[in-house]
Amino acid sequence: MLNLNKIKRARYYIFFFLLPALLVYTVFMIMPLFNSMRMSFYTGQGIVPDQFCGFQNYIRLFTQFPFQDRIFNAFSNNVKFFLMVSIFQNVTGFFLAVLVTRKIRGTRFFRTFYFLPTALSVIVVGFLFKLMLNPVWGIFDKMLRGVGLDFIIRPWLGGSATALPVLAAVTAWHMIGIPLVFFTAGIDGIPEDIIEASRIDGINIWGEIRHIIFPLLKPIIGIVVILTFVGNFSEFEIVYAMESVQGDPAFATDIFGSFFYRTTFGTMMNVVSDVGLGAAIATIMFILILTGVIFFLRLSWRER
Amino acid sequence: MNKKLWFMLISLVIVSMIVTFSFFGCGQQPAAPVQEEAPAEEPVVEPEAEEPVAEEPAEPAAEEVVTLTYTSLRTEDVDRVNRINQVFMEQYPNIKIEFEPVKNTEYDAFLKTSLETGVGADIVMLRSYDGGRQIYDGGYLVELNEEIPNFNDFTPNSIGAWQTEDGVIYGVPYFGSITGVWYNKDIFADYGLEPPATWDQLLSAAQTLKENGEVAIAHGTNDQWVLTETLYCDLGPNFYGGEASRQALINREIKFTDPRFVKAYDALWQLVEYFPEGYQAIDYVTMQQMFCNEQAAMFIAGSWELGIIEDAGVNAGWFAPPVENEGDRLQYPFYADLALGVNKDSPYVEEALTYLKWIASAEHASLLANELPGMYPPLTIDFEISNPLSQQIMDMAKGDDVDTTGQLMWEKLSAQEPSGETLFNEACQKFFNGDITSQEAVELVQKGLDTWYFTE
Repeated sequence: MLNLNKIKRARYYIFFFLLPALLVYTVFMIMPLFNSMRMSFYTGQGIVPDQFCGFQNYIRLFTQFPFQDRIFNAFSNNVKFFLMVSIFQNVTGFFLAVLVTRKIRGTRFFRTFYFLPTALSVIVVGFLFKLMLNPVWGIFDKMLRGVGLDFIIRPWLGGSATALPVLAAVTAWHMIGIPLVFFTAGIDGIPEDIIEASRIDGINIWGEIRHIIFPLLKPIIGIVVILTFVGNFSEFEIVYAMESVQGDPAFATDIFGSFFYRTTFGTMMNVVSDVGLGAAIATIMFILILTGVIFFLRLSWRER
Repeated sequence: MNKKLWFMLISLVIVSMIVTFSFFGCGQQPAAPVQEEAPAEEPVVEPEAEEPVAEEPAEPAAEEVVTLTYTSLRTEDVDRVNRINQVFMEQYPNIKIEFEPVKNTEYDAFLKTSLETGVGADIVMLRSYDGGRQIYDGGYLVELNEEIPNFNDFTPNSIGAWQTEDGVIYGVPYFGSITGVWYNKDIFADYGLEPPATWDQLLSAAQTLKENGEVAIAHGTNDQWVLTETLYCDLGPNFYGGEASRQALINREIKFTDPRFVKAYDALWQLVEYFPEGYQAIDYVTMQQMFCNEQAAMFIAGSWELGIIEDAGVNAGWFAPPVENEGDRLQYPFYADLALGVNKDSPYVEEALTYLKWIASAEHASLLANELPGMYPPLTIDFEISNPLSQQIMDMAKGDDVDTTGQLMWEKLSAQEPSGETLFNEACQKFFNGDITSQEAVELVQKGLDTWYFTE
């Protein structure tokens, strides 16, 4: 009995060593978070809203005409964006990871090569793709014409049906290095003898993926999905770089990040900004991401 | 065990929050405004406090040079404005102007805090409509109605940008922009075309160009502001009734669903077929580059492009928005962007007003128009401009059959959310992309304005 208590006390003691880090974390992360939540209950002109208004900002968001449309539009765009990026980025990343972990000459080079775009800034990537997709002098349409695919040429970034998938594809191209690194690390960690044993049993590559790699990679897939989810629901830069904060064309690429930015800071002159309302959107984003993360975490915990 | 761990973690977070709040929170919450002012006050107050001390003995003794500070949001203009001010200082040797611009994105916060703490510049730059109005409402500006003799020389819509409902004017319009159409003289000459004066002439010119394989109009819909500022409010006023309709809309006499506004949409739709292929994905920079590279014959844009177009070496000309039928009154978009006002708390209001009177003069106007080609003080009186093309653009604003007009949604209609400008941007983009009809476009805007502007 005595002994156990001693151990316990010793354990609690550890937390006091965490205090400095927690203090820093509290000052720079938790306090601003709570402060912005508090701000969502205030209204007024200027950088710091000063009139308390209860849930007025939230009521406006969900009932008043343009906001009501905007927030559901942003939500559905964000969900679509997340699903598309998940497929383009993580599924491709998975198969690429399988490929680069094969024992073939040159795979080492490709491991680095596929990670290169991830090292670029989003603004650079967005700008490059914007140039390539330009209907007047962009290389992309010229390439399509060159191989006789004229009929699929569209105003890629200008059509409400194509703009969001294009952004998702660009994001996936840009960020593919992240799932690739996770998956290759995971596959490298699979004990060699399991694979060897199955090879002796005459397994082919599909069987290997289905019965060995995929099941053993499930926890990592969970983490990658969570990272993609958090990244996509707080995404802003790619929309900013390629379609402006308006989410052109006509809000077809408007996601939470751009909606939040536009509401909080305004756009060009003569468009009013509303910091309180922006804080309300930020709070909703936070709650959404938190629920999403808990949901995915529970899924992957159950798997374990 | 796990639960205990969580409990410990959470209680630690709470404890550390209480600790930090007691450190920072106490000072911050009640004293938030004071804290904000304090940093602004300290560095600036000291020189200000010195100034009167230094000035007071100097003033009665010398009674000559008064130094006025002049703040602006155009840091790019330092050299030009200093050259202009040099001319003023030669005429008024007892006044010295110090131009101290602040970065455009930080200007509004800087201006408000400096005025609030009593250390504002003597002459301040004001944004149009609600931006400047906030400063006046704060009680920081001198009323200018009696002070500046020639407000009648300015275009009415530019005065309106710095005027209250009761007619108090608090800013002298500084410069404004004109929108119309740029055309490539060489391409026009190749097909024997003349700059069009009426809508039908414009359409037939565009048709000729299209049939010959040229891109007639470099215009795209990827940037929203391009559709409102340099399409609907540029070529549209001749169809929706220009300045009169704009005023009627602001005074709630007509709604945006009025047939006139629908008619303007329908007329402008006729131009879309002359836009380049894939115009939905073309942004403003692409439009600009297409015209500058002579890949397109016309460019619907503003006078502010003058410098860029001349630098590119394009043999360019300019025509005003074509009227619907020959002999119609021309509705010419000439609207003000920025104005100058005088700080009420300035010790040298008299001298500052002397400067503003000079700003409102034709002499300053021609100096400014030569330093910043394509940007003009919105004056209707004659002033000299050395650049002939710039002069030509300006000359079209004069004459008895011309009304100058402004941007539809800027005045009053964008004071609150949902702002008219945002709705208008969205409606135009959807309409010119072919997603909605003209009737749906005007209804979209009106629906938003109905929530706060057309409430009575």
